[in-house]
Amino acid sequence: MSAVMERPAPGADAAVRTIPSKIRDRADADPARVCMREKRFGIWQDITWLDYWEHVEVVGHALSDLGVEPGDRVAVHSENRPEWLFADVGTNAIRAITMGLYPTNPAAEVSYLLRDSGSRVLIAEDQEQVDKALEVEHDCPELEWIVYLEPRGVREYDHPKLINWETFLERGRAHRERHPDLIERRMADAEAGDVATLIYTSGTTGPPKGAMLTAGNIAFAVNVLVREGGIYSPPAGPDDVVLSYLPLCHVAERAATTWTNAEAGVTVHFAESIETVQPNLAEVQPTLFFAVPRIWEKMQASIFIKMNAASPMKKLVYRGGMALATRIGDDMVANGGNHTVKTRVFYALGYPFLFRALRDRIGLRKVRAASSGAAAIAPEVLKFFFGIGVPIYEIYGMTENSAIATVNKPGRVKLGTVGEPQPGCEVRLDEHTGEILTRHPGTFAGYWNKPDKTAETIDDDGWLHTGDVGEWVDGTHLKIVDRLKDIIITAGGKNISPSEIENSIKTSPFVKEAVVIGDGQPYLTALVGIEYESVGDWAQRRKLPYTTYRDLSEKEEVLKLVQDVIKDANERFARVENVRKFRMMPKELDHEDGELTATQKVKRASMHEMFAHLVDDMYGNTTEYAGGDMSEVHGSARPVTDDEDAEVA
Amino acid sequence: MTGPRGDTAPPKAARATLRGRPSLYTDYAADQAIWNTPAKRYWTVALILAVIATPFLPFVTRSQQADLTLVFVLAIGGIGLNLLTGYAGQVSLGHAFFVGVGAFTASVLGGMPTQNVVGFELDLLIWLPAAGLVSMVLGLLVAPLAARVRGLYLAILTLGLVFIGEHLFKELRSISGGQGVGRRGPDPEILGFALFHPQEIFGLQLDRETPWYLFTFLLLVVMAILGRNLARSRMGRAFAAVRDRDIAAEIMGVPLLRTKVLAFGVSSFYAGVAGALLAVSFGQVTPENFGGLGGLLLSVEFLAIILIGGVATMSGSIIGATFVVLMPRLVQAFAPQIPLIGDGALLSVQQLEGILFGVLIVLFLILEPRGLFGLWLRIRNYWKAWPFSY
Repeated sequence: MSAVMERPAPGADAAVRTIPSKIRDRADADPARVCMREKRFGIWQDITWLDYWEHVEVVGHALSDLGVEPGDRVAVHSENRPEWLFADVGTNAIRAITMGLYPTNPAAEVSYLLRDSGSRVLIAEDQEQVDKALEVEHDCPELEWIVYLEPRGVREYDHPKLINWETFLERGRAHRERHPDLIERRMADAEAGDVATLIYTSGTTGPPKGAMLTAGNIAFAVNVLVREGGIYSPPAGPDDVVLSYLPLCHVAERAATTWTNAEAGVTVHFAESIETVQPNLAEVQPTLFFAVPRIWEKMQASIFIKMNAASPMKKLVYRGGMALATRIGDDMVANGGNHTVKTRVFYALGYPFLFRALRDRIGLRKVRAASSGAAAIAPEVLKFFFGIGVPIYEIYGMTENSAIATVNKPGRVKLGTVGEPQPGCEVRLDEHTGEILTRHPGTFAGYWNKPDKTAETIDDDGWLHTGDVGEWVDGTHLKIVDRLKDIIITAGGKNISPSEIENSIKTSPFVKEAVVIGDGQPYLTALVGIEYESVGDWAQRRKLPYTTYRDLSEKEEVLKLVQDVIKDANERFARVENVRKFRMMPKELDHEDGELTATQKVKRASMHEMFAHLVDDMYGNTTEYAGGDMSEVHGSARPVTDDEDAEVA
Repeated sequence: MTGPRGDTAPPKAARATLRGRPSLYTDYAADQAIWNTPAKRYWTVALILAVIATPFLPFVTRSQQADLTLVFVLAIGGIGLNLLTGYAGQVSLGHAFFVGVGAFTASVLGGMPTQNVVGFELDLLIWLPAAGLVSMVLGLLVAPLAARVRGLYLAILTLGLVFIGEHLFKELRSISGGQGVGRRGPDPEILGFALFHPQEIFGLQLDRETPWYLFTFLLLVVMAILGRNLARSRMGRAFAAVRDRDIAAEIMGVPLLRTKVLAFGVSSFYAGVAGALLAVSFGQVTPENFGGLGGLLLSVEFLAIILIGGVATMSGSIIGATFVVLMPRLVQAFAPQIPLIGDGALLSVQQLEGILFGVLIVLFLILEPRGLFGLWLRIRNYWKAWPFSY
């Protein structure tokens, strides 16, 4: 409770429509309507509003029975599934706080997050997550219960803190018998200042911080996003369909799934796993689709790969269609995302032959509002999707402002920018640093147990310091330059934004990761990681044998390929911003090895640490490791030892 | 999960979110539906209407009509063999025996008595099911033996049936009329309505063949749907499990003996019905049609129907029957234009037919084991994956 008192959000006393109350109202108004579907045993199983609300109530009671009081934290460690929502909303219904963990979080991070949040109950999906929790349970004195959803493998465990989801619900029902009006009372007491959820920032620098979002923040954010065209225009409604597949502990997916579902009544479909997103998309054919750039890039890459394997006739049709798509994309982008007569004619021409079928295969045939966020997306990718009839609107926001800052509105798109301020949102740039500042009722209540960090982030006038450097384009649209902390100052004193260059390199379907280096150095260099799938496909078509990721990366042909990609990128930048040398990353970056955050962002600090030898190799003018400069390439001078190979594997 | 999700029936509201999403299945019935896409539904209806309209087209001759009738009858028998060989994987060369049993049962129950043969002149509603049932009973008797062997041994065992059949059909003269003589088939009448007779319905003048044509077609549709329903049921999945690997099937809890016996029984029922209909179409049935060398040829013809048409598909059986009946007609029609073919020339028309038939079976086995239906699948998948190739 103390955290709630620390920093009341604006309008804390006002009554607020919380997410639980919205779900209750929907269950009253339309109990038999399907609100979500989950694929089990090959079939999409319906869940109605009545089922949803019933589970929310029972979970709320069950948590109370386990001793959870208002303001206590309940952690959820699971892939996306209905129980995630039951647990989240059930927790909020008794005015407790939900904290989500990424399914990929390794045990050490689980330990940190559970300890930092002081969670009393953990809802863990399966044996994998239970094992992580049990491994670190002795470090988390406040953790009292671990509820597991999937009994397989866990059933035999004998641990006093473990409790089965079924038993948990039984306790909830029994508790409801004894205290029938508990939920109603708690919900009536709910205030706008109640912290509803802790969302941990990804932590590219330093340990993750738990951002407190209040019921008031969420109500504001949902209203802007769903009702006022913040992301879906015309506004989302009950006939809309969404696919839930990004981690729910991230603010973007929580907004797109839980909040949009409660506010607009859209039908949520849970993807079976991140690997099955493509087939699930084709089945579900969502009308609203939010994705991170990585997903859009993968979709585009998979189209390229599949078209390479298509029959000559199909290739011919595809090439013809793509010629149209390129012109449509260029024209629409030049026209603010609007169709012109010419693009309409071209689109009508390509639709029966290619666009309709292509969109159907990738599952985007019914999409009416597609958006991209959470990282910068390459303009080429956007143009591609504009061309095939799926306009993607870039949105900008962060956990700390409940994902509300700017958006590209249909008809007013400017490529390379993140759009215009959302309704009800003030945006300005800091006069000295160019840092983007936002102010609106969605500004978070502070970092959990970190008042000093909170004070650094929110100033006395209520402006949120985003940590991003931006600039205005044509006075209306905001362009993100880079993270303030990532800006490189070369030995020559020139300020360079690495992410622009990196994104430009990553535009190539062959490059998955690129990290530009050069702080305090005379020139820029880059570490490059290939996209295993598409380079593997490329190598196969050239009959180029390879064994492992590292082996493929260090092939001379692949080095030349990467060199060309960098040369291409260099042409788009001034000379000082050109990458002069590169080295290949010997392994695919991974969350578990601490190279990526849970949201697949590169941790720069750990890059410099892990690949220091590669960086030294470049600036020391040696050629020990595979890579090259802009005129020649060279393989690794040191043969791969068994040890290293094992390490890579 | 317990709770309300398991207790209440699935709500039928909010189907709006399912419209236009053909592969979003919320129940197994939709997933396994025969006509799971609107296109299939429309095409089936269109095809049925076209077949019904065919006899009324001015340019369709009566002999062509009779050929189509034969297609329907052979298709029913083909479906029977496909259930046994295609779905359950039990190869059978004895199909002709069961067809013969059906033909003679129908002739006895529905045919006219003469000095030599018995006949009861019963209604079609009695002799048609009876023909199927008698065949089925014989099938069930043979099945426990057949279920003990597989592969080549099963083929030889079922081949034996044809020769037992030859002996029985020849010796039971009061039933079959005896070697080289035979007997008349039954007269199809349903409650006094003659099916093999000119009729007037709703002011439409029907030829002698037309009512019979329509009746066999109706029967084919019904039997095909029954077959398809069996194939997509629990029993059909058991058939497929036995076919793919009998030991694995047994370990999964599929009772081998029961499944194989059932497959034989159902297959024989279809064969019996087809035999009864054949007896009507032929008009005269002889022991040579179904026993001995003639029986072996008929068995092979049924195998050809399912191999060329498509193993383990209902539509394949029908396509195969169409092909087997109409191909010789095409050859006959075009043979005069081909040099070196004809009476007294290098090859007679019959020889050409035989050679073509053999070549086609070989080609299908090598190039497209899924038969004509497989060719259709290729075409369909080409468009289904558009613009990709897989």
